Amino acid sequence: MKKETIHIKEWISDLQDFYFLSFQGLLGLVKRPFYSKDVIEQMDYSGAGSFFIILLISLFIGMALSLQLSAELSAMGFKMYIGKIVGVSIIREIGPVMTALVYAGRVGSGVASELGSMVLGHQVDTLRVFGVDPLRKLVTPRIIGSLIMLPALTIIGDTVSILGGYYIAVFVSHQSGSVYWTSIRGVLNFENVVSGSIKPFIFGYLTACISCYMGLSTKGGAIGLRRSTTRAVVASFVMIIVADFILTRVLFYIFGFSL
Amino acid sequence: MIVFDRVSFSYGIQQVLKGVSFSIPFNERVAILGGSGDGKTTLLKLIVGLLKPDSGRIVVDGEDITDKNEDELREVRTKFSIVFQEGALFDSLNVKENIAFGLREYSKMTEEEIDKKVRGLLGEVGLEHAIELMPEELSGGMLRRVAIMRSLAAFDPKMFLYDEATTGLDPVNADIICKLIVDLTQGGKGFIIVTHKVFDALRLAERFMFLKNGSILFDGNRDQLMQSSIPEIRVFLTELNPPLPASS
Repeated sequence: MKKETIHIKEWISDLQDFYFLSFQGLLGLVKRPFYSKDVIEQMDYSGAGSFFIILLISLFIGMALSLQLSAELSAMGFKMYIGKIVGVSIIREIGPVMTALVYAGRVGSGVASELGSMVLGHQVDTLRVFGVDPLRKLVTPRIIGSLIMLPALTIIGDTVSILGGYYIAVFVSHQSGSVYWTSIRGVLNFENVVSGSIKPFIFGYLTACISCYMGLSTKGGAIGLRRSTTRAVVASFVMIIVADFILTRVLFYIFGFSL
Repeated sequence: MIVFDRVSFSYGIQQVLKGVSFSIPFNERVAILGGSGDGKTTLLKLIVGLLKPDSGRIVVDGEDITDKNEDELREVRTKFSIVFQEGALFDSLNVKENIAFGLREYSKMTEEEIDKKVRGLLGEVGLEHAIELMPEELSGGMLRRVAIMRSLAAFDPKMFLYDEATTGLDPVNADIICKLIVDLTQGGKGFIIVTHKVFDALRLAERFMFLKNGSILFDGNRDQLMQSSIPEIRVFLTELNPPLPASS
């Protein structure tokens, strides 16, 4: 068989394996056995472990955005819109995407390298020998961890970003605090909140599946581990950005946002 | 009995096994020799269904396992006790939890019973003091001993499978592991050990197979091995009497 044909077959097989892992990992949410201890461990690693870095990044993103808008809007005399634009941008777009990217960088790489070293050290084979399905034991807890923790981190990150925006708007740009909060309250409507809340679930699921798949398909020693960790982060980043666009388009359609 | 019937296996475009055929009774003590990348570990994984052959048939205890799924293979795997290279202990679990892993999955033992059983198994290999240690705190020899005990904890295997059980160990620890392997076969149980250490293979096994480029180059007993004129085997046998380096 030609090398090219084998590579195409391998690529299709990889894609099939990825879909299988994603589906089976999700199925583990409703099918026994449940590994609740592993879920809690994953929530601690992905959620609590990412808390401070998300806090820090969100704060500075909010402040930077507010600063940029202050400069532009002050010149045009539209300073009162800072809160509204900061709110909409953070809640609908920047908050979920930035949090997901930071999460993918930290948790995605960690998951891929952990599972990759388990594969190389025959720990995954050992699980199978003991009759334990690695998808249930390793993938499902990581999917659950991401499905719970990424939305939670996003909400926290959004809040901190808005507070950072408030600090700049009020103390640097000298806008009225009550105008800022009134604007924020105005953008906290059903459509915006739902738009910003759905995305982290999808991003979390994608990040967990991609990282687990890359980790579990590791081969070739230390170089292979490096490759799968890098691929996990890069693929997660790309998929988050692509999924964000698709979701935004779909949500625009559902909520009837006019363009 | 394990039967391989014209089994071939590839990793992508790299063919690792080429139409390999043999049969091994459960009570036989077999050493599979060969260089790195010659398919020794692959062969062990095929026996317990961790890999599926590209072609050919694998029969274990009268059952064709070639096309069995993971659920069906559960039963087959309980017939073996497999110890992977460097032990493959779970990094995140301490020694006790590693050994108890299979017990928790397969038995309905209480915590007290599990603790008693784990201590008993560790006592057999002189590692009771290491019960709370993490795998990274263990030496190579301790890792292998814990791994062997873990593989024994949950099942009553018909045969032991060892992947490079003594590789990377100093002579003292290698000796401890070899004695343990021999002790475990006292009840008439056999084993397959894959190794590239001829010295350990000769002190443990009664039948020897030599893998080269995915084919079985040799299959015979100790005397036949020692008298073999196959160049690759002769090179391996130099481990027994290594030529002294020339003095400067």
